[in-house]
Parts: sequence; structure tokens; C-alpha cells
Amino acid sequence: MTRHVLSPLAVALVAALAACSGGNRSAPEPVSASPPAAPASASPSGDSAPLAKSSVTLYFPSAEENTLVAEIREIVDTKRPEDRGAQILAALLDGPTTEGALPAVPAGTTLRRLWVRDTGYAYADFSEELSGAATGGSADEILTVYAIVNSLTENIPEIRRVGILVAGRERATFGHLDLSRPLPPDLTLAERPQAAE
Amino acid sequence: MKTLFSFVLAWSIGAATFAADPIAVKVSTDTSGASTRVVLTFAKKVACAVIEDPGRLKVACEVAISADPASGTLDDPILKGFGPEGDRTIVLATGPGYRRVDTCDLKNPTRLVIDLQGARTGKAVAVPATPSKPLPVIVLDPGHGGVETGAIGPTGLQEKDLTLDLARRLKVVLEKQSVTVVLTRDEDRVLPLDDRTAIANHNRAILFVSLHLNASKRKTAVGAETYFLATAATDDEARTLAGLENKAYEPPDTQAAPAATPATPSDRGLELILWDLAQNSYIAESSRLAEAVQAELNTATGVRDRGVRQAPFRVLMGATMPAILIEVGFISNPEEEARFRNDAYKDKVAEAIAAAVASVTARP
Repeated sequence: MTRHVLSPLAVALVAALAACSGGNRSAPEPVSASPPAAPASASPSGDSAPLAKSSVTLYFPSAEENTLVAEIREIVDTKRPEDRGAQILAALLDGPTTEGALPAVPAGTTLRRLWVRDTGYAYADFSEELSGAATGGSADEILTVYAIVNSLTENIPEIRRVGILVAGRERATFGHLDLSRPLPPDLTLAERPQAAE
Repeated sequence: MKTLFSFVLAWSIGAATFAADPIAVKVSTDTSGASTRVVLTFAKKVACAVIEDPGRLKVACEVAISADPASGTLDDPILKGFGPEGDRTIVLATGPGYRRVDTCDLKNPTRLVIDLQGARTGKAVAVPATPSKPLPVIVLDPGHGGVETGAIGPTGLQEKDLTLDLARRLKVVLEKQSVTVVLTRDEDRVLPLDDRTAIANHNRAILFVSLHLNASKRKTAVGAETYFLATAATDDEARTLAGLENKAYEPPDTQAAPAATPATPSDRGLELILWDLAQNSYIAESSRLAEAVQAELNTATGVRDRGVRQAPFRVLMGATMPAILIEVGFISNPEEEARFRNDAYKDKVAEAIAAAVASVTARP
């Protein structure tokens, strides 16, 4: 067994390291007004086709339980995953219509930008209000994070992980969960037994 | 198969400019004592990890270093010599007399002292491989602290105070089990998440237990739940790790992904990824510990069992030992907050966690 002997010799230069490793982890200020470039597969004619709609499943924190509850909505059926994702997040940010569900994000939170890489990683950049998700308890934090992650991954096959940014910047954590990397969905949150509190 | 991890402490603090020039390191050795001592004196603060491999120790630093002298040989059965490997690592070639290594850090100037314990042929000062068996260390981590109050109960009980209170009680109970207990903080102060984990690693703890109180907008939410790390979050990195160093860096598509595009596995530092994967090797043991704790808490408190769960808690990621995070209860729940103002109840919770720890650390 290899032993790892820590040597906290000093302070790590992570901020510097981050800047070094690409120089592109800090905020775009402000975000470019032009939409992200369409992936090669998206044909321009697709966007001008008649507006079809499709059902999507949103996830909101349960008002009763430490779980996510599903709510069906309709979005315009567009080709680009960014467009579908932005519609899904807009609906999520609008809040639930179902009784027994709570808002997923703090009031006033808006989506600044969503982009999807061909790696299956999506990055959703929210306004500063999302910082209000750091309420001190992990339960609500987990539900906020996975309401976002699960709602995107469930409905958009091109997305398998979601990174959460706040005001254009990486936010390492809201206090508990590691947000330094895009997260896969947590499918257990919607499957917990509905025992009474 | 030796997996190499490099660990870094306190990375939230550093803000120095990333220097292209290597950091000067003066290397000195001393074989006059019972152990062989290597002292690395750094021109600047640098985070390094000492990694033990068969036949050698690697001192892997976060940034490029320039050692003076760059290499050397010794007439010593414990340490044969040292030399560079790449631009961030110094390799110490250990001899047949080498048994184990101790390290400590000194400031002003910044020094890393590496004591190689072992036996010198023909001398009676031979140090056994496990000298006088020190007590195993358990690190308890009282969540939050300082301005980071954590959750606050309806009558004002603060999570940061309660986690420290519980940790102190648990320490007293655990120390009856012939273990040394180290608290990541024993006062009301801010402590970054990675520093907490680093304290456990640095102490070579056999267990890391982070204590928290939960809170929810749902005031009815009640009960304890115990977490271990969800490794799914790092699956991609684990998969790509092997080929990482040889992989060509692909610049991001600046059209599709504006400047805020965060790190993908290939543009995160290797050391950081290794840190993030450290806990993955201990998941089975962490799961067993979590199950034991949850079972004992259920029995002791009779409050609702919220079960054992997994989530990508940052504080668990870098831990090189079984590691769990206990949400002992919901401080946001008025009844539960009231219970946690009661000393007997807090003692009961501490006893329950200690019993669980005893069940997984019990020696035959």
C-alpha cells in the first residue's frame, strides 16, 4: 500500500494555477450578446420549421420531502440543445405550478447563458441571486443543484453533466457540494419513498 | 500497483501570480542522527506532497522547482541519494535500511523537513517498521465556523457552535477507545473545506468524520442522515486520468464556449484531479462506516431515519481514508433544535457515533 504523506508546506497557488491552465475560467464580462455557435449538426432550416412542441419533465424540490417532484411542461421543439435547455431552465426558474412543490432556486434568479459542449457537458450560468442557495443546510442545497442538473439531463440527450456558474464565474461550492466540475444527475432524489415526515 | 496521489493544502488562500520561473529549493541532508534528515528550503511558499513508493520517495510540488544541488549521493543505508524527476519532483532513493518517513513543515524560511527512519547496518539503533505502535488517529470535522455560521435554528442555535460542541463530546467518548482524536477546528473560525480534509490526510487518520446539522425550508424535515461520497461526479476524470499527461490540450472553441467555460478534465491540473479522486479508493469502507453510524443514530435517538446517502460533498473528496459526513439532525426543525439544546441528548448522539466507530475499527 502506498502511503501518502501530506506536506502542507504552504499555500497552494490554485488561483494562479487556474489562471494558468487555460486562462479561461474567469468571468466573461458581460456575456456576448450573440448566441453560441450552432453545432455542425444543426441545420438552419430546422430553426425555421413550424413550431412543434414537446413535453419535458422538470424537477422541483418537494414541499414535504427531501426529494424532487416531477412536473410536466411543454417547450418549443428546437434542434439546438442550448435552446431547449434554456427553455427548460426558464420554466424551472419560473417556479412550480404543482401543489407540493417548492421553487428550485432563490427568487429573482435568472439564466445568463447556457452552452453545451459536444462532450455532453453543459454549463449553465445564473445570475448572482443563485448564491442564495447557500442557505446553510445541505438538504436544500442538494435539491437546488439537482433540480437544475436533473431537469437538463433528463430531457436533453446531448447533456449528461451540468456545470453551474454564478454571474459568469465558477463557484466551488454553495457550502457543501463540489461544484467545480459538471455534475451527473442524481436519479435517487426522485425515487425516494414518500413516507410521511 | 502504486497509485500516486498528490495533495495540496489550503488552496483557497493562494493568490500569488503563477511564476514561469522555477522556485529555488536548497537541498541539504544530514545522516548524523538516528534518522536520515533531508531539509528542503524553498524560496517561496510551495505546496508539495511526499509520496512513498517502493525504493523511493517522491517530493512532488505544485509548481516547477529548481533544486540546489540538483542531485547527490550519500553513503547511507537509509538514503542512497536524490535527484530530479521532471521539473516539479525530487526523488529520494531509499536504501535497504529505510523503514518509514515522517515530515514536518517549518516557516521563515519555508522548509520541508523529511525524516527517513530506519536502521543503519551494524548499529543498535534500528527502528522497527512499526515503532511503539502510535495510537490510530481519528479526525473529527466540526462543520462551518467563524462567519460561516452554517444553518441557524428557529431560536438562534447556530450549526457552527453545535457541530463544535458535538465534536468535543465525541472526542471525549472516542478517546476511551484508545484512539487519538484530532479536531479540524477547536475554536470558532473559518476553515476552508479542503484544509479540513488535508488535516485528516496529514495526520494519517484512519477515519474522517465531518459533523453537520441540516436545514430546510420544509420545517417538518427531521432526522439524521449519513453521507459518503458520490463518486459518479468524478467518473469521467477517473477514466481519462491514465492518458491525461500525454493528451494534447485542445483549446476551447471560443465561439461556442465563452471565456467562462470552466475546467474540463484535460485543463484541470493533474494534482487537483488526483485530490478529487483520492476518496474513490475508500468508498466501500466509507459506506460501511456510514451504515454503522446511521444504524446507531437511529437506535439511540429514535428520530426519523433518513438513511445513508451519497452526494459529491467537497469536504470528503480529498480524504485518503474512510470518510463520512453526518447530518445529525435538522436544526431548522423546532423540536429537533430544542433536543440539541439538551446536554444529555448531545451526549447520546456522541455515544452513538462512537459506538459505530468502534464497530468498524474493532481489532480482532
